[in-house]
This record gives sequence, structure tokens and C-alpha cells, in this order.
Amino acid sequence: MSIPFPTDYASKIFWVFAGMVLGCHLFAEKPLHREIDKLVKFRAGDVPFAKVADDATFLRRVSLDLTGNIPTTDEVILFLGDKSVSKRSDLIERFLKGEKFADYWAERLSVMLLERLDLGKVSQDEWKVFLGKSLAGEPKWDEMVRQMIEAKGVGASRPAMKFLGKADHHLMTENVSRLLLGMDLTCAKCHDHPSVKEWKQSHYWGLFAYLNQTKQATRKKEGKTYLVESLATKKVEFESVFDLVKMSTGPRLPGGGEVEIPQFEKGEEFEKVAEDGLPAVPKFRPREILANDLTAKEYDVFTRNSVNRIWFLVMGRGLSHPLDEMHSKNPPSHPDLLALLAREFSGHGFDLKWLLREIMLSETYQRASRLPKGVAKVEPTSYRVVTPKGLTPEQLLRAVLRVTGNVGEINPPDSESEAEKFDRKGYFTGTHDELPSSLEDMKAIFVQTFGEPPGQPEIDFSPGVNKSLFLMNDRLIQHWLKPRSGNLVHRLGKLNKDSAVARELYLCVLSRLPEEEERDWVSDYLSENAHRREEAQGDLVWSLLNSAEFRFNH
Amino acid sequence: MLGSLGGLAGFGSLLHPSVAKQIKERKKQVCLIWLDGGISQYESWHPLPDSKFAGPFRSIKTSIPGVHFSELMSHSAKIAHKISVIRTMSTKDPNHSTGVPRMQRGDPLDRGVDYPYLGSAVAKLLGPADPELPPYVWIKPGNGGFIHREAGFLDARYGALALGDGRPPVHIHRPKGVSSELDAARNALRQKANERFKAYRNLSDVDAYETSYDMARQLMARKEIFDDEKLDPRDRERYGQHPLGRHVLQARQLLEAGVRFVKVNSYHWDTHGDNFNMSQRLVPQADQPFAALINDLDDRGMLDHTLVVMMSEFGRTPLINSRLGRDHWPDCWSIALAGCGIKRGAIVGETTKDGGFVNGRGYDVGDLFHTIYNVLGIDGHRVRYRHKGQKLAIANDDCEPIEEVMQ
Repeated sequence: MSIPFPTDYASKIFWVFAGMVLGCHLFAEKPLHREIDKLVKFRAGDVPFAKVADDATFLRRVSLDLTGNIPTTDEVILFLGDKSVSKRSDLIERFLKGEKFADYWAERLSVMLLERLDLGKVSQDEWKVFLGKSLAGEPKWDEMVRQMIEAKGVGASRPAMKFLGKADHHLMTENVSRLLLGMDLTCAKCHDHPSVKEWKQSHYWGLFAYLNQTKQATRKKEGKTYLVESLATKKVEFESVFDLVKMSTGPRLPGGGEVEIPQFEKGEEFEKVAEDGLPAVPKFRPREILANDLTAKEYDVFTRNSVNRIWFLVMGRGLSHPLDEMHSKNPPSHPDLLALLAREFSGHGFDLKWLLREIMLSETYQRASRLPKGVAKVEPTSYRVVTPKGLTPEQLLRAVLRVTGNVGEINPPDSESEAEKFDRKGYFTGTHDELPSSLEDMKAIFVQTFGEPPGQPEIDFSPGVNKSLFLMNDRLIQHWLKPRSGNLVHRLGKLNKDSAVARELYLCVLSRLPEEEERDWVSDYLSENAHRREEAQGDLVWSLLNSAEFRFNH
Repeated sequence: MLGSLGGLAGFGSLLHPSVAKQIKERKKQVCLIWLDGGISQYESWHPLPDSKFAGPFRSIKTSIPGVHFSELMSHSAKIAHKISVIRTMSTKDPNHSTGVPRMQRGDPLDRGVDYPYLGSAVAKLLGPADPELPPYVWIKPGNGGFIHREAGFLDARYGALALGDGRPPVHIHRPKGVSSELDAARNALRQKANERFKAYRNLSDVDAYETSYDMARQLMARKEIFDDEKLDPRDRERYGQHPLGRHVLQARQLLEAGVRFVKVNSYHWDTHGDNFNMSQRLVPQADQPFAALINDLDDRGMLDHTLVVMMSEFGRTPLINSRLGRDHWPDCWSIALAGCGIKRGAIVGETTKDGGFVNGRGYDVGDLFHTIYNVLGIDGHRVRYRHKGQKLAIANDDCEPIEEVMQ
């Protein structure tokens, strides 16, 4: 059963911006990436823009954004030598079709959607497999979200229910509003938002009313847990802590109409009887309605939030930023662009790869992060230069591993027995000396150090003394910098010429060729440390691993 | 570990600028000694030998005529004239699970957010006392690390740098085989690379990244202040060789170095059974370092700007249970404070004859937090956090500072 979405919603709500109705960009005639550049330039006016980034920078950027790792030395050399005019779009195409894309984007989307919380009966692994499979072919974002809210619990999409966790009604309400609608309605739980006039307490409770029938139930025979809905018979009641006036609402999306709760004759409420530990299935299931109405093409609160977040993931900041403050007091930097992206994304069937391709083909994405000549400062919201993004904890680990070249030492998952399980706490406290040998443990160490606490979004770059101390002094990283067969420091040790050392070093760590000044640094350092040449090469790797250029996707 | 820029950034953003400025100019420090569980008031600050609930220990005279402590508090008895004791704490929660957060957050009115613990709150409100040092250090038995959950809704960087078993954070040590000259040389390379990267870029993120390295190196240079190995053996004798003694002594070292807020935790103050033997063993372990700390801070001229608070989750029941234990008792119990605008020698609070209940006004943890903020120069009724557009009280608005113990 589905309630048709009210057609007059657009006239009632504020977040349909003028840009959308002005008409001039109503239908994109040119490819979207050209429209993106046009709108960015139009807003900035007649001012200088940064040049397009050089090939090495572009390769590193796209590799990180689509595969989650820096390129290998071979890839850099190959790309720099490629004379084809279409090599940039070819690269984007290859990565979008490649097998790394699904894994990496599953990781990114998982961090965004779960914020590193591990709730409910579906395991992290099952959830990642679901995301990976959805992302492998032609991922449809609306379909993925619909499955996460529907949470049917059967078939290949069963792990999608992970998004709803343990079916905590308030947590689900907050996550749906924050992550899927770009509205942090947490304070509207107790009263209308104090400063944002259009965020009402009824918005929070309207969403809540879709979700408050949901609970976990376990089918006895197979021992599997499902998210079922019990019978909704009346509206939810709430009152403001300020004036204590009683109010009520049925299920209602922000900006949408209220869903009427149907009243059935006694005995007519259910379409399926209770069985085997699962309760009877009501005919009226508000969560299922939410799954459809929220992801409906016409519901532009969802589409705007979707494109804003995807834009953020590749551009480093949202057109509307912070991401969950999409309201009248925090207008987007480019309202027309946001509206266009939203319309085009839904118009192309929420095709995630299509949107990524278009953004990445734009000059706006491909620009350098270095300022245009004669300009001392620009606002990041102008997109006149590219804003560097900090590497995610997982990207950082993969990059450090690729650079130092110690991948051969990593054990496959589950190879360690319970008894010799790596002691993560002891590692940080210094009571246990042994080093982690599995990728899983290494990832946990990097996530604990460089990630945000579970339940916190990872949006802005947040440096920290602990993080710097880790990259400087951690035992694992020191270990990786010792020469061992095949690793980078060992390879450098075999090179006699300083210029060859500089070339290998810069290609490997910073994914580009060194400039003259840098070759001089390398050669000066090596001659000052001639008596300890191999260790000195370790120092050089260390200094670049700890440099800002390595830490950022620039 | 150490929050991002040690609280340098973002200091004024949550507060009214005028108030922020006013606070910044003062150098005040805090040491919170947290006895996890509850110390029995009868076996410490409020012996009441004539009470029908009294235990087997004697009460002894203190440095204030007419005031008595338990004989288990022999060191603190000699410095009673330097401290305040409130014997009429009357708090609400008798449960461990909610007691610790409630007490350490000061129980502001519920506004649907996770309030910061006191150390994080002070780190936020006052910033670091020394910009090179983390504002909030927590010395505790067991594991260390950076404990961000103490920060509640504040940015994670206001969390506690925890020294597990008094040991410094593991990454503060320069790796073996890397001399300080070598470290300087490779850092010079790193800086050169960064200078090059920064040219033609104007990026606050990159600047912040550099700053985090500067601070990391400053911390590495001062790592000895986090290390209890270097403490004077005579001091160790005076503070006691048990963990709490060592950790309170280490707290003194950190306060002297300029850390804004130091919390020292001691666990297992939960004497549901065998209260008297346990108290005989445990209470002197709190008494000895507490008194030594007060004396040392006083001798160094630091007591006037350093607040010391020793407290628990709750007190213990007057009634002795069948296992010779005392259970949780929030209705009437004692805590001790000293320094930084706290009266010297104010042993206050009237209880009923047997000590079971408050006679007159009892103080809740909200009153205690107003007192703490007040002596730190922060008006608990005016200063507000700003969180997602919401102004939030830093202490329970229905409570008031405890004038009886304030200068």
C-alpha cells in the first residue's frame, strides 16, 4: 500500500530554491560536467581560476577517489607517458568499471551511513558484501536506500537492514533525518528548532511515526532476526518542553503530507498471522511507505541531500555544508548547481556512477589545488581551486602499505587463532610489543588513531597531536621503514645514483617525479649521511610519509 | 591521545567573547581525585563515634579545635585547617551505572545531549593553562590512550589524555636508534617538503596539520613530566608506594608543569562486604597522598590557584549489612575540597544525630559544580555552551554555589 505523494508540496516548502524555478537551467542541454563548470564560473564572476591539475596530481586524485589508494609507481609512469587526448576520461571509465570501485565505495558509504557503529544482527562483513554487490554493476542509489529502510530481511538485500541497527526508534529517526535528508533534527525532538524557523518538532515526530512500529523479532526455526512492524492504530503524541502544548502527528515527511492511518474492522488488520516467533503482519506498514516515499524521484529533500553528500565525497565539502544543516540559515554556496545536480541525478535514475563520472569530468573537479597566479587567497566555497581532502584512515593505511612495500608480510584474514589474537589495547598502552600481522588489525589501529569516535560523522579534516605522534613514532611504521627484501627502503638501497633514489622515492611516496630542488635535497641528505646511506634513505621516506603532501588528496 | 590542537583552537567559539576573554586571563588549575565507588563517610571525614551506626575505628582530633576525623585519616587531620569538608552532600543516584556520569557531569538539566565530564568541561571553558600541554590528563590504573568519550557533545579533542598505570602515551617516545639530532634532521626535511607544498596554497588545514607536528614535538621534548620513573624517592615515601599515592604524586608533577586539569582515579571503593577491613587498608591510601598534595601545593604557593577535590560517586549506608559491609548511600555523605578560593578550615554541614540524613540544607552535585566553576572564575549561571544552535547550561540552573566553603 502506498500513499501518493502530494503534488503541491513544492509550493509549501522553503528548500525549493529560486534557482530551480528560474527556468534558465531547467533542462541541461549540454553534458552535466559542462553545466557544472558553467554555474561555478557564473557565480565566481570574472576572476582567475586555478589551472587544471597536472597529470600526476590528477592520477593520484582519481585513484584515491575511485579506488581508495594512491597509484603504483608503474601506473604513474604509464599515465605520464600516455599521449592519448582522452586518457583522463579513459582512466575515470576504467576505475568506475574496475573491481576496486565497489569495495572502496562500500567502505566510504558504510562509514557515512553507519558512522562506524556496529549495531543489530547483521555483521559488518555481510553489510559490506551487500554494499559491494550493489555498487559493482550499475548502482542505483534510490534502490539501495529503499532496501535499507524497507529492511525486508530476505534475499540478497537482507544485510541492508543493518542501516536501521537495533531498531531504536529515536536513533533511526535521527539517522534518517540527518543522513538521508540532510536535516539534523535532534533538537526538534523536544521543541521546534530554536534558530531555524522551518524545522519543526512535528518534522521529527512525523518521521518518528513511520518508524515507531518497527522492532526486532526472531524466527525460531532458523534463528534469524527480522525488523518487523506492529500494528499502528493512532498518531504519535508529543509536546514541546517550552509550552507543554500537546500535539500529534501521523507519519509525515518534512515538507510532505501526513499519511492517514487507516482504521480496520476488528480481525481485518492483518494480512498474515503470527508464526514461528514473528508477529502478525499488519496491512498498514508505515516503514515500507517511508522507504518508497522518501526515495521518490519527486521528493527533492532526499535527492538534494544525496547529491550534496556525493559531491562532498569527491569535492571535499558539500555545496551545502555542514552536510546535515540544509536549511534557510545555511544556504548552499551554489543553489542553482545543487538543484541541477538533484534534478539530473533523479532524472538519470539515481545512477551513482553516472553522477561521479560527470563530476569528475568537470574542470571544477580537475582543477589544481594551487592558487592562480597573483591571487593570495580564495574562498573554498568558490571552487576556484580544489580543496585538498585529508586521506581517510583506510586510505592512509593502504597508501602507507603501498609506499613502504610491505604488503607481502600481511596475513590473510582469520589466519590467527583465538589464542594468539593481537592485543590492540596492549599495543596502544605499550604493554604488548608484538606487531599486528593481519590487515584487519592494522586497519583497526589506523581507524582508532585517525578516525572519529563511533557515532560521529567523519566530515572535516581533524589533525591531532596523537595522530602526528603515531605517524612519527609508531612501531609498525618504523618496522616498515627497515630494509627488508623487496620493500621500498631495500629497493632504494640498491640504487647507487642519488638521482635514481630521488626518482624512485618521489614516484613511490608522492606519485610524481621530483623537481630539481627536491633532487638536490635528496642528494644533499645522502652525502651528509654517506656513512649510513641505507638508514638515511629510511629517513627520506619517513619525512615524505609525514609531509602534508602525502597526508592530503590534493 | 591529545585532542587535536590541545584546545588551542575553538576556545572562544562556544562562549560569549567577553566572558571568554575574562576567563582566559586567569591561571587556575584543578586536581580531581576520584574514588570510584564510595568512601565511607564514617570511616573518613565524619566519624560520629556516638552514632549507632559508628564502626570500630576511633575518631581523632584535627588541627581545628573541636573537629574530628576518623583515625584512618591521620595525615589529613593535621591539615584540616587548610581544607574544607562538606559533610552534607545529598545526591540522588545510588547506582554505579548512572552514578559516575551523573556525578562527573554535574547533572545539568536533561536537554537531550551527552554533557562533558568535568575535566573536558574545564578544558573547554578555560583552555590549556600551558599551550604546549594537553589541558586534561587522566591518571588511572589499567589502560591509557586518548579517551574522547569524556568530552560528551564537545569536540572529541577535549577528551582526556589517559596515562594508563601512570605511563606516558606510547607514541611519545622517539623510536630506539633515532637520536635527537637525527630526529631534528629528518624533521627539517619534512618541514622543507611542507614549505614547498604550502607555497601557492592558502590552506588552514595544512597549517593545522603542521601545528599538530609542532605540538607533538614539544610534547616529546617534555615527555619526562608524564613519566613517574623520575619521581623523587623521598616524595614517593611521603605520598605512599601504592598506586593512588604514586598517581597523586604524578598529578603534582603535571600540575607543576602547567597541565590545567588532572584527574586521578582509584578503583574498588565499594565496600558492600567487609567494610571495616577494607577501609582500614584503603582509606589511608587516600588520606596520605591527599594531605601530602595539599601540603606540597601550599609550600609551593600553588594552593591559592589550584583546586583539589576528593570525592566519590556516593557515600556508604549508615546501616551495617549482614556481611559487615556498607552499601551505597547518596542521602548524606562527605567530600573534601581545598585551594583556589575554597575556605581554609571550613568543616561544614549538619547531619541528624546518627549521621544518616542531612539536617538543614543538603548539597547536590549541581551545587558542587557551581562551586567549582565559581572558584575557577566561571559564572555557572551566565556562561553557556553553544551546541548546534542551542545554548546549554554548564551546570544545573536550579543549583547554587556552596557559599559556606567559599572565601
